Amino acid sequence: MTKSLRGDRGLATLETTFAITILVPLLFSILEFGSALERWLAQDAAAVQAARYAGELGGDAPELHRFVGDELRAAGIDPDGVRVEVAPSRVGWREPVRVSLSSAYPISIPFLFSTTVPLRSSAISRGEVNR
Amino acid sequence: MVLTLVIAPLLFVALAGVLQLGALRVAVARVRAAADLATLVAVNDQDDAELAKSGSLRLSADAADVARQYFARELELSSSLLDGGADAIAAAADIAAYLSAPAYDTRTGARYERPTVRIAAQVPVRTPVFGALVLRPVTTVEVLSVSSPR
Repeated sequence: MTKSLRGDRGLATLETTFAITILVPLLFSILEFGSALERWLAQDAAAVQAARYAGELGGDAPELHRFVGDELRAAGIDPDGVRVEVAPSRVGWREPVRVSLSSAYPISIPFLFSTTVPLRSSAISRGEVNR
Repeated sequence: MVLTLVIAPLLFVALAGVLQLGALRVAVARVRAAADLATLVAVNDQDDAELAKSGSLRLSADAADVARQYFARELELSSSLLDGGADAIAAAADIAAYLSAPAYDTRTGARYERPTVRIAAQVPVRTPVFGALVLRPVTTVEVLSVSSPR
């Protein structure tokens, strides 16, 4: 009787360990990748708004960077971790301007790996300043 | 132990499906933003001569071409998500420019009170995980974007 109980307890421990090492990484994968996708969507939306504003400003300007910072903060993203590129930096009437935002999102899955996923967002608008 | 071994593959499939669904949401948002930006760029281009002469807003004659060109450019930025070339998708899009108002849209039945640019497109997006799960490997996203100046 005692032997049988001890055996069952050992089996239950083994089963729980096995389940945890599989289920915990799965659960964290769903949470971490879901969070990364949410951030990617927010960054994309900020890139679209930034491209529109860059068109109005006629390219790169301090106001644009302030605007992007505000947009990112409103979406819960730290602007310091996001790189903003405007190409070309100065555009005229009807010339295309491209705004790119890039950042690295850290993902950590217990028992498996920790890495950073690069998130890139770009949008193109057209210059509205007649120089 | 048996239960874990049975459930684990199901959970892996669920995880893969959830991630693919998330990637599809990102792709849909990008396609919609591409169409919105293209129509906005096109309506921002006003007929300056008409504006100076009569003071009324009238779209530039090449508004539909500009919308198509920018739709292709925006889609090109997400080319890795698309099943097909950005130029081909933009070329197949139904783009209409109503240079002056009022106007009726024969596709949607809408009445426009201002000059308007409308894009209606079907954009094929790659969904390889859905394909592996015996679903569609390509999901077609229908997008409709309408912009008018004010």
